[in-house]
Amino acid sequence: MEILHLENVSFRYPKAAVNALDGVSFSVQSGEFVVVCGASGCGKTTLLRLLKRALAPAGERSGEICYRGTAQSALPERTEAGEIGYVLQNPDSQIVTDKVWHELAFGLENLGLPTEVIRRRVGEMASYFGIQELFRSDTDALSGGQKQLLNLASVMVMQPRLLLLDEPTGQLDPIAASDFIATLRKLNSELGLTILLVEHRLEEVFPIADKVLLMDGGHVLLYDTPRAVGQKLGAEHPMQLSLPSAVRIYNALGIDDVCPLTVREGRDFLERHFPPAEPTDDADASYAHNDEVALEMKNVFFRYERSLPDVLRGASLCVYKGEFYCLLGGNGTGKTTTLNVLAGLNRAYRGKVRIAGRPIGDYKNGALYRGNLALLPQNPQTVFVRDCLRDDLVELLEAQGVAKDEREKRIAAVAEKLGIVPLLDKHPYDLSGGEQQKCAIAKMLLLEPKILLLDEPTKGLDAHAKQVLRGVLQALKADGITILMVTHDVEFAAENADRCALFFDGEVLSADVPERFFAENNFYTTAANRLARSFWKNAVTCKQVVEYARAALRRPTGEGGETE
Amino acid sequence: MKAKKWVSYGIFCLLIPAVVAGGALLFEEKQYAWVSLCAAVLACVPFFLHFERKTGSTQTLILVAAMVALSVVGRILFTPLPGFKPVTALVVITGMYFGGEAGFMTGALSAVISNFWFGQGPWTPFQMVSWGLIGFIAGLLASPLRRSSILLAVYGLFSGALFSLLMDTWTVLWQDGYFNLSRYWGYVLSSLPWMAVYALSNVIFLLLFTPLVGKVLERIKTKYGLQGRR
Amino acid sequence: MKAFANYHPAVLLLYFLSVLLVGMFITNPVIQLTMLLGAVLFCIMCTPSGRSAGGIAFYVSMFLLVAVTNPLFSHNGVTPLFYLNGNPVTLEAFVYGAAIAVMVVGVMLWCRCYSAVMTSDKFLYLFGRAIPKLALVLSMALRFIPMFKRQLHKVSRAQKAMGLYSSKSLVDKFRSALRVFLAMISWSLENAIDTSASMKARGYGLPGRTRFSLFRFRAADGVLAAVSVLLLGLTLVGTAAGATAFDYYPRISELPLTPFAVAVYAAFGVLSFLPFIIEIREAFVWKYYISKM
Repeated sequence: MEILHLENVSFRYPKAAVNALDGVSFSVQSGEFVVVCGASGCGKTTLLRLLKRALAPAGERSGEICYRGTAQSALPERTEAGEIGYVLQNPDSQIVTDKVWHELAFGLENLGLPTEVIRRRVGEMASYFGIQELFRSDTDALSGGQKQLLNLASVMVMQPRLLLLDEPTGQLDPIAASDFIATLRKLNSELGLTILLVEHRLEEVFPIADKVLLMDGGHVLLYDTPRAVGQKLGAEHPMQLSLPSAVRIYNALGIDDVCPLTVREGRDFLERHFPPAEPTDDADASYAHNDEVALEMKNVFFRYERSLPDVLRGASLCVYKGEFYCLLGGNGTGKTTTLNVLAGLNRAYRGKVRIAGRPIGDYKNGALYRGNLALLPQNPQTVFVRDCLRDDLVELLEAQGVAKDEREKRIAAVAEKLGIVPLLDKHPYDLSGGEQQKCAIAKMLLLEPKILLLDEPTKGLDAHAKQVLRGVLQALKADGITILMVTHDVEFAAENADRCALFFDGEVLSADVPERFFAENNFYTTAANRLARSFWKNAVTCKQVVEYARAALRRPTGEGGETE
Repeated sequence: MKAKKWVSYGIFCLLIPAVVAGGALLFEEKQYAWVSLCAAVLACVPFFLHFERKTGSTQTLILVAAMVALSVVGRILFTPLPGFKPVTALVVITGMYFGGEAGFMTGALSAVISNFWFGQGPWTPFQMVSWGLIGFIAGLLASPLRRSSILLAVYGLFSGALFSLLMDTWTVLWQDGYFNLSRYWGYVLSSLPWMAVYALSNVIFLLLFTPLVGKVLERIKTKYGLQGRR
Repeated sequence: MKAFANYHPAVLLLYFLSVLLVGMFITNPVIQLTMLLGAVLFCIMCTPSGRSAGGIAFYVSMFLLVAVTNPLFSHNGVTPLFYLNGNPVTLEAFVYGAAIAVMVVGVMLWCRCYSAVMTSDKFLYLFGRAIPKLALVLSMALRFIPMFKRQLHKVSRAQKAMGLYSSKSLVDKFRSALRVFLAMISWSLENAIDTSASMKARGYGLPGRTRFSLFRFRAADGVLAAVSVLLLGLTLVGTAAGATAFDYYPRISELPLTPFAVAVYAAFGVLSFLPFIIEIREAFVWKYYISKM
């Protein structure tokens, strides 16, 4: 049965020059799992909001949206509220009340259901989602992943038929994101719930979707099964970057076969076309680095309170000057704490911390932050306090006592360098995640740091924004700035880092070049590496896999080398 | 709707004097504390009822909640500076931009909520009414206050003084059972420096916050011009 | 404190109001001292041990302040002790000051117990019936506060790591707090838009909203309510009949000790000690229960 039907829907924001949506037509069958993707600004959020009448943005719109055969405008409010669920990106700001039980009951109260019915439905939902121990907790005591699950559960109690989700995993760490996606899959397969999911992290959702709706500039570019979309999307299309590794490798190699979606299918695909080989470790054993040490921690211990356990237990770390160093590791292991210790925000109670060769205690009265080291926090929004980016940058220089015309010059130079000149007069909150990140880095650069510490800079960024960030960081590195980045993003680390290390149990383990670091890991490694490791052990990025594969194709080896 | 409104005003105009007079007659002059407590609670009632009945937008509801939360958080943020509490300023601003009713609610609820941390007591209703009225009057004076920052500063001073004086009145009523003028003067004089800091901080906060909040609200209106059905 | 706090919020409110009503109305010294003692016992039960030293100092100084200052402001009474600036300082004023101090400190202690027992969710439940919209606003504010605090912390650290206004001078402290707070105002109001979307998406504003809560009225709640009302009634009847009448001015009257008066004292005594009695009973029941296992 057709649950959703769009006929030639166009939409234009007030005062905008072009349509945000232009002639969008498609239909969704009941029980389908549809993934909506596209570059930022392609109109996917606008589309999703238009599907939920209560959240529809103001503007000019034409065309027809039908829900279960009824025109959207003719839908009774109660039906609209109950049957179409909507989950937003930010786990925090969607929570309305202070207690978990009340949050779960909120929608049902709005529908006017009696207490006994609410009691049963809420109990049922809490059990289904496995959050019964949290039932009486404060909503604020939950972790980000739990909060997002609560948001989903408090929509699900209303028993919707259609669930709309706008980048629900954007603010979650990879493990919580996987849990969330797994829950969605369970809802879809066990309850037959129809799901429309806007997402830019496609590695996991692509294979489980029934359909993929790929948008580009307000149009529907492709609407088909994931396999067909993977096959049809040209190898040169910018959206390729966000597709799962298997699809990217398949497209780059251009071998005529069925498009693989998962790591397993990708490996089968390689096995079909390449001879089985004993994987060889051919990474360059030497690592050239500057002898000067920029950041050093030796046997550092730290805890937040006397009664709490140690977060850092004898952690040692050494980052050379001009190096791009990535610190990977699970959630809550102390990666951010490490950054804060290095940035002088937390004080180690034992051990040595040296910044550019001098003990951290030698930097007094904020000297550490002037021309030495800058810390970019996880949420770039926290960096800005003014309502216009330029004011914010001016204020920073003013506080440092920079002369007036000198200020303008320095801001112009930094803005030019990061390509943020058109953003200077905007409000920081009006920028996209990627732009915010760039502007925050710009602010850091005004402090003229020699060392840049970054906390999860790729969080919530789509493939394109990551590509831009990559360019920025590489340029900084070329200028001789030392970069220490804490991240969950193994793909980004593999592509960019000079060295990677794992943070575990209060210590920094196994720092090494990415080719060897990831080759030694079995689980904590990139999808591309998992896919190709039985052939080429040191291939950790998609690009490297493709290079190794092309090389293997060029050099015909024995019987199995099918080159078509 | 109209009738209900009259009922609520009736409560305000008749019931409170009745309670005061009744209390004075029944319990002699000793029980002013209790009587004034009842009067304070009753004074909130019409505002609350009116707010309940009005079909205000979801937006206003959330903004009031956010302002209340901000005033509590602000009280914590500014603890290193004794006497500097942004509560009154935020209450006045809410009154100015969202109307007197929202101002009253923000004031009254800020009192209730911050006392979840700082301790509830018979003083809670007095704080509720005092802050509430400050917000309500700000709503009535919205357009002149928005136009002139001098007036805003004057109102900041006035509200700071009003709050201190009202709370001193309550302390005296409570501790003496009647309005002991000499004790009242004692309290007022001893709290004069605090009152000055408090009133002055109100002025500073008001002059700094008001343009900003105005800008933010304007931004929100244009940026998120929702097709709001409700 | 668990057993008492688990009663239905409406019953708890009724109980607190009864005690406060009597405590603030009736100036009889026996009643006042009983109230103070009940409050002290209750407070000991609800405060974790080791955290009360500062509290005690505060209440003692409060007591002294009220008790000692009264004779300075009030010159009623017929038994002058000495003269200050030509005004008589009377015995009656001293005693009355002490009585008022007992009342003030007693009521404050009861309010402290009230704060400990009537947590925000109970408060919301009670007032949410009469004022549902306001109760929702309160609940939202309670949800925002910890979230704002966290954001505040993050913003201050981010600013500190840029070396802005981090010196220890009062001006810098004010400037940094102010900058952060201004940023918080924008951030929180922008954030509120998402909250509003989430509310609308879940049908907030539909007519006929109901209220859900986890509290249930049980038989035991009825018993406690009935007992409280009965004891309160007895005390009030006694007062109305003048059985406990006591005057400080112009001269201190004799303490009424008629059987009726004693009955009233006893009734109020039981009322004041109810939470304590309930706790003790619970402890015994639990011990008995464990021993039977």
